[in-house]
Amino acid sequence: MIQIINGLVYGSFLYVLAVGLVLIFGLRRVTNFAHGGFFMLGAYVSYAVAAYLGFWTGMVVSVAALAAFGVLLDRFVFRPLSSEEPIVTLLVTFGLLFVLEDAVRTIWGKNYISVAAPEALAGSVTIFGSQFPVYRLFVIAVAVTVALGLAIWLRSTRVGLYVRASSVDPVTTGMQGVDTDRLSALVVAIGTGLAGLSGTIAGPLMALSPSMGGYIIIDCFIVVVTGGLTSFTGAFVAALVIGQFHNLGLVYVPEVASVIPLLIMAVVLGLRPQGLAGAGK
Amino acid sequence: MIDSKRATILGLSAVVVSATLATSAWAQKEPLKIGVPTALTGTYSQLGDEAKRAVEFAVNEANAAGGVDGRKVEVRFLDTEAKPELARQQAEKLALDGYKIMTATIASGEVLAIGPMLNRWDAMFVATINKANDITGKQCQRRLFRVNRPDNSDAAVVQPWLATRSEAKWAIVAADIAWGRNSGESFSKAAAATGKTIVSENYPPFGSNDYAAHIQKVLDSGAQGVWIALAGRDAITFARQAKQFGLFDKVTTGGVSFTTDGTVKVLGDVVKGIHTIINYSSTLDTPGNKKLVADWAKAYPGDAPTNFQGETYLGMQVIFQAVKKAGSVKPADVAKAMSGGTFETILGTQVMRKEDNQLVGPNYFGTVEAVSGTLQPVVKMTVPAQAATPAPDGSCKL
Repeated sequence: MIQIINGLVYGSFLYVLAVGLVLIFGLRRVTNFAHGGFFMLGAYVSYAVAAYLGFWTGMVVSVAALAAFGVLLDRFVFRPLSSEEPIVTLLVTFGLLFVLEDAVRTIWGKNYISVAAPEALAGSVTIFGSQFPVYRLFVIAVAVTVALGLAIWLRSTRVGLYVRASSVDPVTTGMQGVDTDRLSALVVAIGTGLAGLSGTIAGPLMALSPSMGGYIIIDCFIVVVTGGLTSFTGAFVAALVIGQFHNLGLVYVPEVASVIPLLIMAVVLGLRPQGLAGAGK
Repeated sequence: MIDSKRATILGLSAVVVSATLATSAWAQKEPLKIGVPTALTGTYSQLGDEAKRAVEFAVNEANAAGGVDGRKVEVRFLDTEAKPELARQQAEKLALDGYKIMTATIASGEVLAIGPMLNRWDAMFVATINKANDITGKQCQRRLFRVNRPDNSDAAVVQPWLATRSEAKWAIVAADIAWGRNSGESFSKAAAATGKTIVSENYPPFGSNDYAAHIQKVLDSGAQGVWIALAGRDAITFARQAKQFGLFDKVTTGGVSFTTDGTVKVLGDVVKGIHTIINYSSTLDTPGNKKLVADWAKAYPGDAPTNFQGETYLGMQVIFQAVKKAGSVKPADVAKAMSGGTFETILGTQVMRKEDNQLVGPNYFGTVEAVSGTLQPVVKMTVPAQAATPAPDGSCKL
């Protein structure tokens, strides 16, 4: 049972990172290769701020800084390139990833950094007779909060309605009087802000390094594609399924565990080419 | 006053003349070109950085002393990301550009990918960090040498330590790469030889993000001790997560390349009290090591060479002495001079065994403890060179 919870933790972590990609792809139709770089930058910003002002301030500043970065990204990269072929934007984001990695390497150096969990989350609780870290439960709580927050925002607010409409047909939505450029800036900001949030929660889980985004972004893309590219619900389900099978694979079939996410994606796309919750044609 | 001026002019002239002579001597002889295909990014980037610094230190030191065999030493680094295929490609580039004497690669798999190509490239390689037994075992090559302690040497150190332990049940967590598998197998053999039982074996993928499944398996197995063979980013990520699960508080923990000088610096109290194989320590009391530590502190104030830096520096010493002995920088000549040669190293006089091209040196075991307020691996047991370097098992056919 504890292993199921461990799978849930990894799935939750993947979801928080992947849903930012889903948001950006949904509105801008951009495969943002720099997302792993934003995740990494978020981890470093949070670490740097937390060293002086504590973990929670670090988290807030990281999310805000990355969201601000997202606004600039949308204004000066995505918007000017929106009329270009998708491959152009993809390559630009790929280049941006390297720029971010080198910038972080210059500022913080190449050496690994390890971050302790905040005092309030440093302990453990007993679950099914086993000691389980509170911090890991916090990761699940963050994912649930993000999922609920996004669902409420998208389903119950006017802006959420615009976002959903723009995801389906940005041209018609614009013709109805919605400022899709401002909407895009907002959505990209939320997407990169979520990358900052996932970077922050990754701090006490894994070693910080300029190339840390590369270790997680493949699983993240697998989640997005399996979920159906633009579907928030799909990404949530895919993240939990992939996290769970990946973890159980490590326990029962460790030899093939690393290919399990890819196998799940292949099976899902074989049965439903539009992904778990994709709209299809 | 005039005398003082004259003395100054004479002194400056002497410096200029010496520098000119040195430069002109360097100009007459082919430079010694060292190629370093190493992990400058990725999971082992910190290890690669450490190795790079040690190579640069040794090269600067040699050039400041007039070069090696009157030759200027030049070095070029290329990033391998610790990936065997990329390492082979980068090593080939270096060899084609004339950097045919190579060293300081991080992962064993990289060396095993480079080794078979050395004759074709007319190159040679000196392993300084790589532990897989096969490097000087069944995949040995005439132009492939190793100066660091192989896995079977680590096993020779672990066994006497394990014999002193009361824990009967042990678990293994090792990286799913050549070195990790080797280390796991060696620990299993040492456990069998000392009457211990292995109750859980875990080989997580290289570069994993989440070790919770493996940590939980160890906890559920009833193991009283765990042996860890993870390095670099993997070691740090595992240690942080294991601490959160209380693993280090519940079971005795030991490892290899897990609590190195570098990882201890990053992890601090998380790894206090963990037992570890120590292949090199800046605290070792030998004249050569004391000199290295003193010179290193002059070059990098407040810093001491780490285990990987000490091992890499030792490798550079062996290369320089072999070049001097060969009077040549041709890999074939240097390899010939290196095989069976005797070398003065920071750890004393050591012999490069001609049967398998393995340098015979001592090995150490210790614990992570505070020394003058700073945590570091502290040597508790020294195994002399002959005992620490098991005799060739016959699998190497040179």
